[in-house]
Amino acid sequence: MIDHSLCGDKTDNELVGMSLKEPDHFLCLSKRYEDKLLRYILRISKFSREDAEDVLQDVFIKTYYNLNGFDKDLQFSSWVYRIAHNETVSAIRKKVVRPTIALEVEDLERFGDAFDMTKDIDNSFDRKYIDEALSKLDEKYREVLVLRFLDEKDYIEIADILKKPVSTIGNLILRGKKIFKEEYEKLVISK
Amino acid sequence: MENKNISQIVLERIKGEGIKPISKKVFNIKRVLFWLAVAFSLVISALAFSLILSALFNNDWDLYGKFGFSFILKTLPYFWLVSLLVFIILGEFYYRKTSLGYRRNLSIILGFYLLYTIIFGIMFYFVGIGNFIEQSLLDNAPSYSNYILNRHEVWLHPEEGLLSGEIVLLGDNELELIDTNGSVWVINTEEAFTNGDVKLEVGEKIKILGDKVEENIFNAEEIRPWVGIGMNSKRKALNITPVIQ
Repeated sequence: MIDHSLCGDKTDNELVGMSLKEPDHFLCLSKRYEDKLLRYILRISKFSREDAEDVLQDVFIKTYYNLNGFDKDLQFSSWVYRIAHNETVSAIRKKVVRPTIALEVEDLERFGDAFDMTKDIDNSFDRKYIDEALSKLDEKYREVLVLRFLDEKDYIEIADILKKPVSTIGNLILRGKKIFKEEYEKLVISK
Repeated sequence: MENKNISQIVLERIKGEGIKPISKKVFNIKRVLFWLAVAFSLVISALAFSLILSALFNNDWDLYGKFGFSFILKTLPYFWLVSLLVFIILGEFYYRKTSLGYRRNLSIILGFYLLYTIIFGIMFYFVGIGNFIEQSLLDNAPSYSNYILNRHEVWLHPEEGLLSGEIVLLGDNELELIDTNGSVWVINTEEAFTNGDVKLEVGEKIKILGDKVEENIFNAEEIRPWVGIGMNSKRKALNITPVIQ
């Protein structure tokens, strides 16, 4: 049995190498990412927590299965988020559920800061509108906004997760922010 | 969030189901195959470009005045242009499948791909690979010159003074040729010149400028090689060694 307390000071890349030699070390990697990825899956799908956990299991199994294919030019974080993104999208398609956003209070604060509308989001109406406005966005805008403002990924990481050019990510974020603001304002005005 | 069991469950599944990571070799082979596909597409694009250059440089541009703009439309190497386009698209597609290929913009990938295609295409042309392939196709694929280079579009109009075909007989001041429609023509060469590197031998393909005198009889003014003369128009007196078959 491996002493997992020793994993803390290891880098992701070191843990990948160790997991390939001894699967027990994979527990360190999966533990490191399970909260973040579960939150991410919940944010981009409308799955119940149970369903999201099932998807997360598949994400980790797939990650382990493809561990030798991890490209060291990437951050492990980007790679595992990419797998989580693909698995979630594929699960959404299987369930034929339109993906919507499940935001937590701290998500709203981050989103509010990013969009300079913190003062407007401290009540349940506004929270509802943010959810709704995000859900109305095209998937391509929604996924970059979630990764940028909720998972706080930088442009290169988002490019690696979604396998798109960095400049495309920049444009999607810019355009997504604009459309989101328009949708949000429409909802607020119509209230 | 409390999901402390997921990682443990995953590890148990890995062990219980005997899940093993796919071998590194598989991923390495996949990576190499994508790069090979990029390289292969680039080589074919460059070859297509060198053949386009070949077709353009070997075209009979002095006939532009006779046909006008339709001459360009008739003699553009469409097959190689389409091949070039197809392999550029394939090259871009495979490049995107390489490990970090998706990070680059379409315009940057296409720009570099085109640049390399042009550089290698010009190299292939000047090294002679373009002409070698074209000559091999002309020698071994009879339909190449007619349907790929569209030569018959321009050179099978006897009423307009343009005739082409394969020499079947050489005589004193005349020769016989069979055109691409299978008609045999008697060509009067008494007042003819050659232009370009013409081989007047039985079995050679030639092009003739002149006048149709009557059905299947043609007065030659100028005889050209099957491959065009480009911009190097240079007339020489005709010298035929008669060969009767």
